[in-house]
Amino acid sequence: MAEEDVIISKRITSGRTQWPVFVALTVVAASILYPLYFVIITSLRPNADYLQNPFGLPGVWSLENYIRLAETYGIGQAFLNSLFVGTVSVSIVLVFASLAGFALAKLPVPGTKYITATFVSVMLIPGPVLIIPIYLMLARLDLVGTYTGLIFVYVATGLPFATFFLTLSFRGIPDEVIEAARIDGAGFFRTFWSVIMPMGSSGLATLAVLQFLGAWNELIFAFILIPDESMRLLTPQLASIGTRFLTDQPLVSAGLFITASVPLILLIFASKYIMQGLQVGVSR
Amino acid sequence: MTSASLAPRVDAASAAPTRGAPLPRKPGGIRRRDRMIGLLAVLPALLIVVGFMAFPVAFAVFISFTRTNGLTYDWRWLDNYIALLNDPIVHQVFLNNLKFLVSVPLVIFTALIVSVLLFERVRGWKYFRIIFFLPNVLSVAVIGIMFRNAFGFNGGVNQALGVFGVEPIQFFTNGTTAIAIIILALVWSGFGYQSLLLLAGLTSINPAVFEAAAIDGAGWWKRLWYITLPNIRRVLGFVFIINVLYTFSSLFGFVFVMTAGGPGFETTTIDYLIYLRAFSSSNLGSGAALAVILFIFIGILTLIQTRVFKLGEED
Repeated sequence: MAEEDVIISKRITSGRTQWPVFVALTVVAASILYPLYFVIITSLRPNADYLQNPFGLPGVWSLENYIRLAETYGIGQAFLNSLFVGTVSVSIVLVFASLAGFALAKLPVPGTKYITATFVSVMLIPGPVLIIPIYLMLARLDLVGTYTGLIFVYVATGLPFATFFLTLSFRGIPDEVIEAARIDGAGFFRTFWSVIMPMGSSGLATLAVLQFLGAWNELIFAFILIPDESMRLLTPQLASIGTRFLTDQPLVSAGLFITASVPLILLIFASKYIMQGLQVGVSR
Repeated sequence: MTSASLAPRVDAASAAPTRGAPLPRKPGGIRRRDRMIGLLAVLPALLIVVGFMAFPVAFAVFISFTRTNGLTYDWRWLDNYIALLNDPIVHQVFLNNLKFLVSVPLVIFTALIVSVLLFERVRGWKYFRIIFFLPNVLSVAVIGIMFRNAFGFNGGVNQALGVFGVEPIQFFTNGTTAIAIIILALVWSGFGYQSLLLLAGLTSINPAVFEAAAIDGAGWWKRLWYITLPNIRRVLGFVFIINVLYTFSSLFGFVFVMTAGGPGFETTTIDYLIYLRAFSSSNLGSGAALAVILFIFIGILTLIQTRVFKLGEED
């Protein structure tokens, strides 16, 4: 970031324009934060209290919405299901993508050009095109209604970007280091584990966060591929609660906050990695 | 590794994504082994991607030529396509998608303003950056239901209108207002990320150009119009393309949780209609044909748009 700071200090900023800009940015930020604040506050009050004075602070603070969601609508189980599917699919993506990324970045893989072209071009496939064939394929394989099928889909849709991203990221590791490892007698896995993994850890962390967010937030396939209510993931469960309880805003708000909580926590603690991934988005 | 150092490499790679790895000179035997190992390392990822992304596209094309319930396939040549092209619902849905295009200039305009504001680098701009990115980490399910709630009968908007004595409005029983609210949700959730993309474009402008302009007496507005905007037209073009593509292929989530396509088909988009045809009709071939049409349409759109924006890219 040091480089950037130098540029900033060189830039011509007149003190006069600073305040209006700050105020304008604050207004825009409020338009994003206020709806979230409203959701969180609403989720902590009973419906009757909400209807009386929706914009004030709650007259009665309570966790009853969360308890109702957990006891009657299995939101806790759905949360764990999402966590499980997200973690497993991210782990698989990371393993396969880093192997492929290492090979494509540093090894003389035959047909590198075509392999990379395949990864890049499947990224352009619009999601809706895949719905019907994937459903029929998984039905044939008896994988509809299982997490295995869903994880397969998340891994497959995540891998092209992941491989592309890690290839770029591993390319930054100097060849001399890898050559030195080879001279010391390190084979493929040794080099992969002791050189590539530690030196590419920042890229791996970025990717892990992005892929996890993708799996956690996905709605269509989670809805279509898991018809069994007791196995539902969080987003389809939220969607069904949201359409069933139009008049109970606090209850739905509690569901919203539960679903949003994990991404928000990741954004707060891993914003560095998320922002890094953003740069790659430009090239997509 | 900082984000700044990652960016140029990404640019270079996107210009030539197929650039091969540098090959250290080694005896032939070791190289052959390296090639094998490399291929084996790429294979799992490649097989999964081909099996679960490339093959399904081919399969979708096959399905689109058949009449099928998923168990038996009855080859019907172009029947599904002909039926779709003559289907008034498909026409209406396509027009709906065009209505959603209104969101494109709105998102870009908002993002542009925000990025120019961020570019002033006022105190705390890095925190603003994270706040503006926030909607991007949320699921469409969360954003959609949040907006549906806010504009629902008991929602925040109607409650606020009630303070001024306005009767609650049923926003979702009217196609036009329902589309307007989905567009609002699109703008809310999209402008932050895109303003960061535009900011990256702004940051890459040589600061000396601004200084020279400032010395020549160009004011803030003049600099914006004559220097800033022309210099980021490539990023603007990219943002324009992703927005248009998004409008045609990624509204499913919003429509699904906010309106379920109703009233009637007034808020149904093409991707949502694919889902409807796939899971609530007896002929999956029709949905697959629609998906193939969408795919071709998006492909053509991408080609045209990249051509158009390549023309201005001679810098």
